[in-house]
Amino acid sequence: MSETQGRQRRTRLASRRRTGETTPIRKILVANRGEIAVRIIRACRELGGIQAVAVYSDADREALHVRYAEEAYNIGAPSPRESYLNIGKLIDVARRSGADAVHPGYGFLSERADFAQAVIDAGLVWIGPSPDAISRMGDKLAARELMERAGVPIVPGTQPGLNNGALRHEASRIGFPLMVKAAAGGGGKGMRIVREEAQLDAALASAHREAEAAFGDGTVYLEKLLEGARHIEFQILADMHGNTISLGERECSIQRRHQKLFEEAPSPFMDPDLRQRMGAAAVAAAQAVSYVNAGTIEFLVDAAKNFYFLEMNTRLQVEHPVTELVTGADLVKEQIRIARGRRMGLVDGVSISGWAVECRINAEDPYNNFLPSIGRVTVHVSPTGPGVRLDSGIYAGYEVTPYYDSMLAKLIAWGETRGEALLRMRRALAEYKIMGLKTNLPFHQKLLDSTNFLAGRYNTQFVEQHMELRGDEMGGGRAEAAAIVATLVEHQQRQSALQFAQQPNRRASNWKWGGRR
Amino acid sequence: MKYQTIVNGQTFDIEINEDGRVLVNGEARAIDFRALRQGELYSILLDHRSYEAVVDERDDLYHVLLAGDMYEVQVTDERSRRLASAFMAFGDTGGEVSIRAPMPGLIVRVPVSEGEPVSKGQTVIILESMKMENELKSPRDGTVHHVHARAGENVEQNKVLVTIA
Repeated sequence: MSETQGRQRRTRLASRRRTGETTPIRKILVANRGEIAVRIIRACRELGGIQAVAVYSDADREALHVRYAEEAYNIGAPSPRESYLNIGKLIDVARRSGADAVHPGYGFLSERADFAQAVIDAGLVWIGPSPDAISRMGDKLAARELMERAGVPIVPGTQPGLNNGALRHEASRIGFPLMVKAAAGGGGKGMRIVREEAQLDAALASAHREAEAAFGDGTVYLEKLLEGARHIEFQILADMHGNTISLGERECSIQRRHQKLFEEAPSPFMDPDLRQRMGAAAVAAAQAVSYVNAGTIEFLVDAAKNFYFLEMNTRLQVEHPVTELVTGADLVKEQIRIARGRRMGLVDGVSISGWAVECRINAEDPYNNFLPSIGRVTVHVSPTGPGVRLDSGIYAGYEVTPYYDSMLAKLIAWGETRGEALLRMRRALAEYKIMGLKTNLPFHQKLLDSTNFLAGRYNTQFVEQHMELRGDEMGGGRAEAAAIVATLVEHQQRQSALQFAQQPNRRASNWKWGGRR
Repeated sequence: MKYQTIVNGQTFDIEINEDGRVLVNGEARAIDFRALRQGELYSILLDHRSYEAVVDERDDLYHVLLAGDMYEVQVTDERSRRLASAFMAFGDTGGEVSIRAPMPGLIVRVPVSEGEPVSKGQTVIILESMKMENELKSPRDGTVHHVHARAGENVEQNKVLVTIA
């Protein structure tokens, strides 16, 4: 599409919006990879034949999202900077494929205002909030000021762009413990806890380094650490017709190094009054930036049920399925509907039904400091049955590479009550079989065995305080059965090797050892 | 054939006879064992108790996934055990341990130097991979013998980064 065509199309879009006509979307470029790309492609299919265009790096030719999409285009080397973060290449693929809209998923370019702007400038529909809303919320410090003005409570912290000397000075004013956070951050990258002054310099240096590597912007700031607080976030949805609604909360306090591992909706900590007040604050926060599309307001809630604005994620969240299961909404389809300029399907708000829980299944070894694990998935048996949903980006034979996030899949369970959802999750975890690399499945099983967790007594410190897994605790109460199975497999292999040499016609497998007792 | 099988620090003496009888720690057990997919998925009825097991053999260990729990199982027979104990006589236990890159990545920092004493659990390498900084720790007390990596270096999987003597 030439620049003139782009301009003409923009004018057309603008006039359609004015006349209330909706913008057609027939082909969506999914500017992401892994499970979220698959999730978006599924929504495209369900919306009656919206074509999905996948992009892939050299490392992802065999990835599931490429297999699922109608079309797929290579966008370069495995390093995200060369591929999934390369705006020019993505816009080029959108043009070549004839896509009329772009969905960014989460991570990568999803919260980059310049990408949203580039998409719009190319005459395409951006399935997300305006570049202005992204940049105002993306600058975590400006967002704090904005929220303060909008009457939303904020956590004590520092001003933007301070040098290390000033940060040191401010640190003693805020008091320890505190957090070093990346201004461009998210997902726990470039984030450090500092418990005493002596640790501050090292934390500033490493947070700066990690933020620089992850976001290309090493700016950091300080925020008071509220210990024993819970991380509770509100999903909002806003359309171009002035409707902004809250879809209730998600509880995300089970984290390790600020990476969420388990989420649930609703929160066991919530009461109707607090939900009403926090939901109203979330809607006010979104309206303060004239927000349109799906977004999430993250809050910290202390033991006295005071809540503080943490940040707004101007995109779809990893954990959006728990909200979908308790509200019945399909957030990705709503995003597309809103981007088309239509009225959202939930103008009358939503009611919460039952309970949903989600486990993030990561390629990480819980017995070895959660070290990432790579390799070929040899076995992938998905849990099925009532109330179970699996959003996965892997399959048996798929190779997990070191270039991207270690999250492989999300396992989600729904129940009438929290108890039923958790028991169902426990059942599903036991059914889930992934072999070939280490996963954090044992972590989730141990979590679901913890009585404090089952009783809903947990906060953001829970994993550090209660969830250390030691190598000698590996396995469960069926060691004898495991020993017998492994020995029989070993024996079978030796016998078949022998038989192959001596008696090639004898059958080698599936024999029975008699119980002649 | 007599096997000694170790799992979770527990040792089982398992004897599989020519006539198909299986003795576990000297006791005869009723076992119906089926390979549902050879080398991968197995079903066992152990005294009529039904288990499904996914088995993966890697690094001389069997990784057995059973009812959602993973077991690392080491199976040895008498002959290989005698061989192993002969090697142990050379005093392998106090030797060098190598800390290898568990995956390809970028060395962010090497917080130790050669000759420096380290204690078990102390971070010796910070490796960036999968978008995270990962701390590699010393598996035991000792002295840093060699440092084979420097900050800023890209390393391949399994490269020896530090040796502890």
